[in-house]
Parts: sequence; C-alpha cells; structure tokens
Amino acid sequence: MKNSPMEALARNSMLILWTIFALFPLFWMLVISFKSDAQMFNTTFVFDPTLENYQEVLIKTDYFKYFLDNIIVSGGAVIVSILVGVPAAYSLARFNFRGKEDLAFTILSFKFAPEILVVLPLFLIYQKIGLYDTYIGLIWVYQLITLPLLVWVLRGYFEDISVEVEQAAQLDGYKWYQIFFRILLPLVKPGLVASALLAFIFAWNSFTFPLLLSGFKIMPVTVASLRYIASDTVHYGQMAVAAVVTATPEVILAILIQKHLVRGLSFGAVKG
Amino acid sequence: MARLTLKNVFKRYRNKKNEAADYAVNDFSLSCDDGEFVGILGPSGCGKTTTLRMVAGLEEITRGDIYIGDTLINNLHPKDRNIGLAFEDYALYPPLNVYENIAFNLSAKGVAREEIDRRVREIAPLMKVDDLLEMKPAGLSGGQKQRVNIARALVRNPLVLLLDEPLSHLDGKMRQILRTEIKRIHNKIKCTTVLVTHDQLEAMSLADRIAIMNDGKLQQFGTPLEVYDNPVNVFVAGFIGEPPMNLMKVSILEESGKLFFLFPKKGIRVAVPSRYRSALRSGMEVTLGVRPTDIFISSDDGTGSEVTVDVFENLGDEKRISIDVGEEDFLTLMTEDERRYKKGEKIHLRFHEEKTHIFDPETGDRIQA
Repeated sequence: MKNSPMEALARNSMLILWTIFALFPLFWMLVISFKSDAQMFNTTFVFDPTLENYQEVLIKTDYFKYFLDNIIVSGGAVIVSILVGVPAAYSLARFNFRGKEDLAFTILSFKFAPEILVVLPLFLIYQKIGLYDTYIGLIWVYQLITLPLLVWVLRGYFEDISVEVEQAAQLDGYKWYQIFFRILLPLVKPGLVASALLAFIFAWNSFTFPLLLSGFKIMPVTVASLRYIASDTVHYGQMAVAAVVTATPEVILAILIQKHLVRGLSFGAVKG
Repeated sequence: MARLTLKNVFKRYRNKKNEAADYAVNDFSLSCDDGEFVGILGPSGCGKTTTLRMVAGLEEITRGDIYIGDTLINNLHPKDRNIGLAFEDYALYPPLNVYENIAFNLSAKGVAREEIDRRVREIAPLMKVDDLLEMKPAGLSGGQKQRVNIARALVRNPLVLLLDEPLSHLDGKMRQILRTEIKRIHNKIKCTTVLVTHDQLEAMSLADRIAIMNDGKLQQFGTPLEVYDNPVNVFVAGFIGEPPMNLMKVSILEESGKLFFLFPKKGIRVAVPSRYRSALRSGMEVTLGVRPTDIFISSDDGTGSEVTVDVFENLGDEKRISIDVGEEDFLTLMTEDERRYKKGEKIHLRFHEEKTHIFDPETGDRIQA
C-alpha cells in the first residue's frame, strides 16, 4: 500500500475520531463516578472529586455479592459451553450424520431470537420447574448466548485439521483421548481461548435473562445497577461506580487477550 | 521385514441410505516378496489408496484376507500391524517439533528415552532432516515435510512401509530429488514397500513390480518392463507410456493372401505381422496398439504404407509426427532423424512387428499371437 502523508493523516484522524467516539462514554462514566450528587448536573470536567459514591456502593451495599453472582453464572455458563461445545463442534466437523447441517443451524439460531421474546415463556417454565432464581437456571439459559459462538468458531478450527493427522496418531498407537488432548486441543486452542472469552463477556453483560429469570437471591451486577434508581431520584454517581467496577474485568480481559481475539477469530488452525 | 499378501480383497462403501454401493476394490490379490518395492498405479478413484488404507488398518476390509508374513492382520489394530505409513498430505503433528514428530510413535510404545534418542538420531541423517529436528512443521517446505513424514514411518522399523502418493504435492525438481532419495533408502534398508501413485513415471522408476488398477480391479501385475512391453489389455496399454500408445480401431483386410490392418475412413493399410496370421481373419475388427516409438519411416520400396504428414512437432531431442487416419485421435510417431517434415508430405510407415499389439475391441483384452 502506498503511504503518502495525506493518506496517513486522513487515516489517523479517522482512527482518532473513532477512538474518541468509542472511549468517551467510558471516560464520562469514570468522571461521574467521582462526582457527588450535588455537583452532578452543574459541573462538567471541573469539580471536587469525591470517593463518597465508591463508599456507598462498595461498602454499604451487597455489591460484592452481586459481583460474585455474575462471576458464578458467567463463568459457569462458559465452562458448561466448553464441556458441551468442544465435543459438539468436533462431531459437527468430523462426522457425517443425518440432519447434521440442521443441527448446526439450530445451534446458531439460538442467537437469532430476541431475548425479550423467548424470556417470557422461559419465565413461566422456570417458575414451574423450580429453576427460577437459581444458578443452574441462569447458567442454562446463558447457553443460548455462549454455546453458538463456541460451537461455530471451533467447528471451523476442527474442519481445518486434516483427518490424516488423527489417523497418523492412531497408527502411532495413541488412544482417542490422547489424540484429542495432545494433538487436537493445542491446535484449536487459539479459537477456544478467543471464543470462550468473548462468550464470557457476552454472558457478563447479559441483562434481559437475569432481570426476568432471577429474583433477590441471585442478582448479577448488570441487574443490580438498577437498584441505584431510587423512587425519588437517580443516583447517577452510584450507578456509574457500579458500572465502572463491572466493566473493569472486561476491560482487563479484553486488553489481555487482544491478540488472541483477532488471531483466534480470523485464522484457521493449520496453515499451509 | 516380511511378505505382504492380499487375498481376494473387496471393499464396498455404504452410501447415506445405507445401501451397498459398487465395489471400490474388487477381488484384489497381490503378493509382495520380502524386501520388494511394489507400486500400485492407477488413475484417481481406482481404489489404490483404499487398498493401501486397508493394509494400514484405516479402512475396514469388506471381504478377503491380508497377511503380513504369516500373520492375518484383518482384525489387528493399526498400531499392532507393524506398518509404517507416510500420508499423502504429510499429516505431521503441528504442535510438535520434528524430533517429537519422529519420536511420537516410540514414546507411545513406552520405549526408553535413550533408545528413542538413538533411533531418531539414526533415522534423521538417513532422511537428511538432522538439521531440522528443532523446527516446527509449519516452518518446513513440502519436500522437508515429506522427508519427516517418511522418517516418522521408518523409525518404528516397520515390516511393511506404505507410501501414499509421496511425491504428488511436490514441485518438479523436488519430486525428482526425493524420488531418487526414496530409491536410495529402499536399497539401503530393503524394507518391503508399497507405493501408491497415479504417476507412471514414479511407479516405473521406483518399483520392482507394478500393480496397475482400474475401477477397483487389478489389471496387471508385473515388472515395469513387462507392463510396458506386454500390456494385457487396452487400459494398461493406454495408461503406461508417454506419449501414450496409439490405440486405433481397425478392420482386417485380406488381399492376395496377405492380411492388412485397414483404417477404414482413409483407406490406409498396414501389413499385419505374420505371427498374428492364425488369430485373425478377414473382416474382423480389432483395436490396434502401437507405441509412437515403434513406428518407423521407411524408404519407398513398396513394403511401407503411404500416409500424409498432418502435424510435425520439433521438441528438440525428439520429433513427433501426427497423421490423420480418420479416427478420433491422430496416429503419432516419434523419430530422431534430423529431417524436417512438412505438412502434406507423403511418407511411408512400417510398424515394429514384435511390438505391434492387438486387442479385442469388446473386452479390451490382448489377442495373443
């Protein structure tokens, strides 16, 4: 590609514009988390920073309980998805069975339906069978979010691995599980890491399902943030704190896995 | 090292509706002597790789028996068959480096570490991969990958070495180098080897004997010279040799007590070799087979058949002349003399009597003199 100064300038200014657009809400959230309610609407960038909101949220409420709930349901959902999704992706990639494509499409279609549409019947069912407001219930329904992603990314990875590699290992005298763990798993690892972390973030951010399918026992932070809307006023500062703390793990994760994320979702497992 | 024997082996795949399809391998029998290099040659889809995979244990045998030495291996697990298989697309283990790839089999068997090291360091220089031991497969060229692939098959000291199209993914130069290399290694270790290939040059140059397959059936099994000089049917005749043998439908004509091959559309006649006299009668139709190198241009003394040159190609060390005899294909002959022929020029042809073959046009089988 040619790199004339004008082009470089144009490209970089577009990127800078995009960066501001993308990062400003985060920055704004951080700013208001340090503002007192009194200064919320009459100051912009110049104000007396206070930690009052952090005290209110982190110490005086059950925020950490909600945080832990979120970790349990999101983490649990991803673990279940890996346990189910890896073998599922493998069989979709390797074996020919009747209705294979239909099955694959059905798994993908979990992501098509708007959550708000499926959540109402689920609510009734969950009430009936006692899954309402339980960890298992949430982890289960989160599969709609996490499983399709994992299965479809990993299926592509498995398809890229030549069957002959497995047969060679078979000839070499390895058992199927040894082949799976020693040969296949290292090959799909980039895809597995990327899709699992992406799935984790989606699950972490999930709002509709936990809002309607859990009550007071289990409350992920996304839902808990609503509690800062009191009947008389909205505690924007406290909400901002909740949001900042909630977003922190995601931001850290995203930065840590940045490379994996791009590589893992765009590259196949075995090249040339 | 051991004999490899296939006795009436069949393979039939089932299609999606679980109906039995045609036989991919049909009544295939073959016997390779101890230390022999056998090539299985055939066009793609003829069942040669399926045959190899049945020997390796990667495909079930529908019917028939396969022996290595005196052991029936039909129901043995692939790892217990004592074979080494070099896969067509290398199938190296990408996460492992070359050393680990070669050692993978031995470590599965629980061979002691020092012994593994000794064996790997012994086989690596033989396959000329000793400089690559630390590298990952992704960093290797095609030729290097194939060397590692073969080294991996050899390191277990197999009774039978199976090579599945080992050279088909390599470029021309590397293909030649590795071909010579495979020959050299076979001469050195004298392991019973089966090579599957669709490239006749590979089979002719490497194999002691060649099994030619078509449509799942064995057509002919013999030394390269045998299959070249005495093809048993039209398929083998047309498949072996470059440029391919001229195969033309002709009828037999008798005139004043002499038999001629007659190309009916152009009325060209060629004298029938005397040894076929008893087998042929006037009015019969046969397929005539003669290699381009076995047709000579003779002086005009009345014995040759007069034809007209249609295309003359000068390829440097050989010249090709194509003659329109009214059939689908041109009759091609090769000459080495320095003369340049022109289109439309009249020449006289004589066929090499010993190397003129005739085939039954219905069955394709060769008609013996």
